[in-house]
Amino acid sequence: MIVRILTEGQYNLPGAYIDDLNDIDNQLVEVVETKDQEGFDRLLKQMLDLVREKGSALPVDELVESDLVLPEPDITLEEGEQLFTGEGMLPG
Amino acid sequence: MGILSRMSTVVKAKMNRIVDNAENPAENLDLAYEKQREMLRNVKRGVVEMVTAKRRLQLQAGKVKENITLVENQARQAMAAGREDLARQALQRKQTAVLELDGLDSQIASMELEQEKLTNAEQRLQAKVEAFKNKKEVIKAQYSAAQAQVRIGGALSGLSEEMGDISLAVERAETKTETLKAKAGAIDELAEMGMLDDFSGHGDSLGKELAAISASQNVEDELASLRVALPSGQKKALPGGGE
Repeated sequence: MIVRILTEGQYNLPGAYIDDLNDIDNQLVEVVETKDQEGFDRLLKQMLDLVREKGSALPVDELVESDLVLPEPDITLEEGEQLFTGEGMLPG
Repeated sequence: MGILSRMSTVVKAKMNRIVDNAENPAENLDLAYEKQREMLRNVKRGVVEMVTAKRRLQLQAGKVKENITLVENQARQAMAAGREDLARQALQRKQTAVLELDGLDSQIASMELEQEKLTNAEQRLQAKVEAFKNKKEVIKAQYSAAQAQVRIGGALSGLSEEMGDISLAVERAETKTETLKAKAGAIDELAEMGMLDDFSGHGDSLGKELAAISASQNVEDELASLRVALPSGQKKALPGGGE
């Protein structure tokens, strides 16, 4: 599974980790809802570190589309909220 | 739907726009390549703008530093002349300037961070565009136009995604630069009008009051140390004070 971390690059991550990512993702939705800054920073780091540690970085001249795109490491809680505005937040 | 799917949607939307703009790029690989080079030029321009904005802030910080030295000297002179009231005024100005300098320094640091990110992005895109160019030439040489479309499709998607990523980063950096520029402009104006009161970024009134207390404490502390440093005979040897 190819995963991109915005502004950082792409990683090849074993597909088995998709559940872990989804789990963190669900928690992220909750902390965005409750505007929990500390939780947001912690979960975001946890998510990105999982990809960095368990995945292997793709060579920079590799041209392949990602299966999953993760936010940039310095995304703020406000920017996280903005991701959900517009179309509204869907359950799940 | 979580952050992950949202983020992917945002990037794919960006990416599709880039591919759409290229008017069926698979049919015209050279056109697609041109689009990529244009994007690369935009990123380079973004880096240059960032550097310019940073320089401006650095100049401004330099002026504030000079100003601090100036009011320090004024405070010393005023004390030497026995005018503690004037010295206090000068030191109050100094506190304002010190806060301003802190603000500028943190803005400069954040610009440096943005600049580094954009530079990294530029290098990554450069490598990707090079890779695309090579792939394109090989494919053009070996396959018919229709086959080439199929063969280059994946590479083009990969590259478009990179471009989507980078154009998001550039937009973000631009927004940040604009905000900083606006702030810097506002500080310039205030400085010209001689009223630099509220640039410290302490939005809440508690923060403002605490800052005011610590600033006035600093003023008193400095006054005290100037008083100590003052030789008792010096009061008579003032410029303009008469001998």
